[in-house]
Amino acid sequence: MAGVVAGAAAADPSSFKRKPGLMAWLVLLPLLVWLVLFVVVPTVMLVGVSFSERDALGRVVWNFNTENYLRALDWDTLKALPQLLPQNLSEGTDAILKQDGVSGDPSLTQRLRGIGAGIATTFNAFVWFRILLISIWYALLTTIICMVIGYPVAYFIGRSSERMRIILMTLVMIPFWTSFLIRTYAWITILSKDGLVNSFLVAAQIIPEPMTILYTPFASVLGLVYNYLPFMILPIYTSVERLDNAMVEAAYDLGAGPVRAFSQVIIPLTRPGIVAGILLVFVPSIAMFAITNLMGGGNPPTIGEVIYKQFTSGRNQPFGAALGTLLLVTFIISLWLTRKQREE
Amino acid sequence: MKTNTRHLMFTALAAAALAGCGKPPAPTSAEPSASPAAQAPAGDAEKKLSLFCWSEYVPQSVIDQFTKETGIKVSVENYASNEEMLAKLLAGGGSYDLIQPSEYVIEGLIKENLLTPIDHAAIPNIKNLAPDFVNMSFDPGNKFTIPYMAGTVGIVVNTALVTDEIKGYRDVFQDKYKKNIVVLDDAREIVSWGLDSIDIPVNDVSDANLAKVKPVLAKWLPLVKVYDSDSPKTALLNGDVAIGVVWGGEGAKLLEADKKFQWVAPAEGSHLFVDSLAVPKTAKHVKNAELFMNFILRPDISAKISEEFPYLNPNLAARELLTEAQRTNPASFPTAAELANMQTFKDIGGQASKVDELVTSMKAQ
Amino acid sequence: MSVVASSPNAIQGFFRRLHGPQIQRGLFGVWTAIIFAFLYIPIILLVVFSFNSSKLNIRWEGFTLKWYGELLQNKTILTAFQNSLIVACVTTVLATLLGTIGAWMLYRYRFPMQRALGLLIFVPMVIPEVLMGVSLLSLFVHLLNIPLGYTTLIIAHTTFCFPFVLVGIQARLHGLDPALEEAALDLGATPVKAFWLVIVPYLMPAIVAGALMSFTLSLDEYIVSVFVTGAASQTLPLKVYGMAKVGLNPQLNAISTIFIIATIFLVLFSQLLTHKKTP
Repeated sequence: MAGVVAGAAAADPSSFKRKPGLMAWLVLLPLLVWLVLFVVVPTVMLVGVSFSERDALGRVVWNFNTENYLRALDWDTLKALPQLLPQNLSEGTDAILKQDGVSGDPSLTQRLRGIGAGIATTFNAFVWFRILLISIWYALLTTIICMVIGYPVAYFIGRSSERMRIILMTLVMIPFWTSFLIRTYAWITILSKDGLVNSFLVAAQIIPEPMTILYTPFASVLGLVYNYLPFMILPIYTSVERLDNAMVEAAYDLGAGPVRAFSQVIIPLTRPGIVAGILLVFVPSIAMFAITNLMGGGNPPTIGEVIYKQFTSGRNQPFGAALGTLLLVTFIISLWLTRKQREE
Repeated sequence: MKTNTRHLMFTALAAAALAGCGKPPAPTSAEPSASPAAQAPAGDAEKKLSLFCWSEYVPQSVIDQFTKETGIKVSVENYASNEEMLAKLLAGGGSYDLIQPSEYVIEGLIKENLLTPIDHAAIPNIKNLAPDFVNMSFDPGNKFTIPYMAGTVGIVVNTALVTDEIKGYRDVFQDKYKKNIVVLDDAREIVSWGLDSIDIPVNDVSDANLAKVKPVLAKWLPLVKVYDSDSPKTALLNGDVAIGVVWGGEGAKLLEADKKFQWVAPAEGSHLFVDSLAVPKTAKHVKNAELFMNFILRPDISAKISEEFPYLNPNLAARELLTEAQRTNPASFPTAAELANMQTFKDIGGQASKVDELVTSMKAQ
Repeated sequence: MSVVASSPNAIQGFFRRLHGPQIQRGLFGVWTAIIFAFLYIPIILLVVFSFNSSKLNIRWEGFTLKWYGELLQNKTILTAFQNSLIVACVTTVLATLLGTIGAWMLYRYRFPMQRALGLLIFVPMVIPEVLMGVSLLSLFVHLLNIPLGYTTLIIAHTTFCFPFVLVGIQARLHGLDPALEEAALDLGATPVKAFWLVIVPYLMPAIVAGALMSFTLSLDEYIVSVFVTGAASQTLPLKVYGMAKVGLNPQLNAISTIFIIATIFLVLFSQLLTHKKTP
């Protein structure tokens, strides 16, 4: 127990970090080589391509220009924003008045609704940025749901006997050793209008006629949660598993109710696992599009799909590379900022 | 040393990193055993063929039979879109003897001198092709390609849910069918329907025409529930949507599955696609590739392919081997009048990117 | 009246008698069962449909074993499945090694540019698969001259898998007591021995979790594979995506069923064995 507390206290491990000797460098070498060869070099190539052009067959032509970035950032719209926004705002209010069939001065609520409509129109003018935000929103929702529903599972598995732990942990992963498409088509069979859920609900007379479940944002998020849940459960499990039994008991015995024991002792102690789980779910799900396409009907488009299309039907690799680079840069900066903040 | 690495790096980027054709073409005229005088078409000395084709498009049974009859071992690699094929072909990673491009890609490949002319003497079965499918605009005289399978795009209506008569795109994209429609997830297709509906040739995708089609799509796309190119029949079969604009082959399967589905060839016109076989410049087994082409054109083999893919079979002799039901499936085989109303796609080069942006922005409304 | 008055006390007493953690454990157990049901519902359906006589995976028509028979005849699916297993296994070993050793070294030593290194590890995770596939393709073909096949597939898969291992291990290391390794070193163990005898056992749950995640990710990867595979190394996802266009074949359900049932048996069996050895 002392060990756990000391470990938790030593959140900043720099106090015992050693200077690497030759041996340490040699051991790190494979990772370094791997990172340089298969991560740094391809990324540099990617950034290079993002500043180039393409020919009619879609081949990359090395001809430096920033056109792709200007387009990805909707530069023309951005430049026109000072005129565009007021115009959209007034048009929004006019539309609301027309809709309500009122002439003359708008009331306060009408004015607010007009502003809302104007902002929405303006926002819609940013094609790519909007798609990125929608994708981030889906990923965020997925992460939160995974965390809330996955934590108790991870905790339960982590506090089981050693044998059960291995069995349960593998059982969490096994469904995903089937083919993704087969799994997703199984979901489609469950959720479709003629599907199992609807047949059951109608037969049980809970609803009068089949509901639309599939091809909605709900179905997209359901698919994402289903496929990423194990990546939340596993890292949290490894953090829970390490908790000292005596320590957990003590937290309850100190007179704290289960809720307080949980929120004030257990969750803080398993924070590293939670953070890892958030990263492993949130990061890959931003660019995921196969699930949202199949279960959400590809509506609205997501950033991963849009980038993918630049490499297929759009035949514009440089633009796809630019979108990818922007995604990468946004992500690295935010990660760097949160880390820095945590360290301070 | 340092300049050397930098030079290398620069070359890598300049070599058009992602899909540049950095590799010098492999020696192509290295077929020492070719004996043009032989009566039966002979293959290469090396009994191998590397086929780069659409996933599952060439049935395994056909490949097995080819190997059995000729002794040529076929290695198959797949792609899921023309552009994936282009990326790998141009990168020069593998050496492919036979590829399966669609009509609008063939034009570009010929223009860029990336295909080897085929020897008609080695492909006598070319005579089996329907007159409509020889000498097509993208490859005059079939110098480089032979059609493998063709197909169209059209409308499937679930008559249990839709009682009105549907004649064309304009009848599909109506407010009353909002969120009841599945369409192909393909920007070029979607734009071509819009262009058809305002009587602009589908290959005329100038900026001005795209601007004209924009309001049409702005009205249409918010009505769509599902975008799916791979298996649009799923949403229709499951009852999640009532109408779809889908590939002919998908339509044919729906018609086979249930009488309630009805096929409509759009009154405004539609796309006729032709997937073909072609030999890339870098091919090492040209003779074997020609043997395979000839094999594919055999009526019994071509009919076998039609079994799996109920598309528009360009092989006249093979059509006669199909069952009555297959031959009269309106989704597979359009009438002459309908066929006259269809257009093939031409290579639109850089405009592809604008077409994509237009559809993406209309989708994201 | 008295019943009503006494009932809150009775409930309280009941709860007091039950230990706090026990109630919680019960509740969490129920919740875990619900989540397992959620995870396995589509899988059960998939298994059921592998015995369905209809080719369309939509309605139940009748029991049959014919898909299993056809599967055993289907060379291409079996080869693709075998390729997937080979790639996934090698990837798992490489990614777990790279991730575990990398996480430990970055944790234990202070390398120059450490923060940059830490961020670099996330690049393969955040980068869309198509970008990774295409850029690795040109790297293999133009710079390294590696023929497309198993090697390129394994390299690509390892590249996007090892960050998952590394992040998981880092989380576990976060609470490590520095005294643990120091004690071993004080007793005369070399750093390598201390790592092997003290740290690896401590990290084991995270290593297993990382290996499981790598295996899963590799087994199911499609887009990156499209670009870096060769003709001889087609994996199952490549095959399956192709088949989806024609109509998914219940043979795929059959192969998934066999694989799942075999793994479940293997896990239960191995756990029984280890239990016998160390009662």
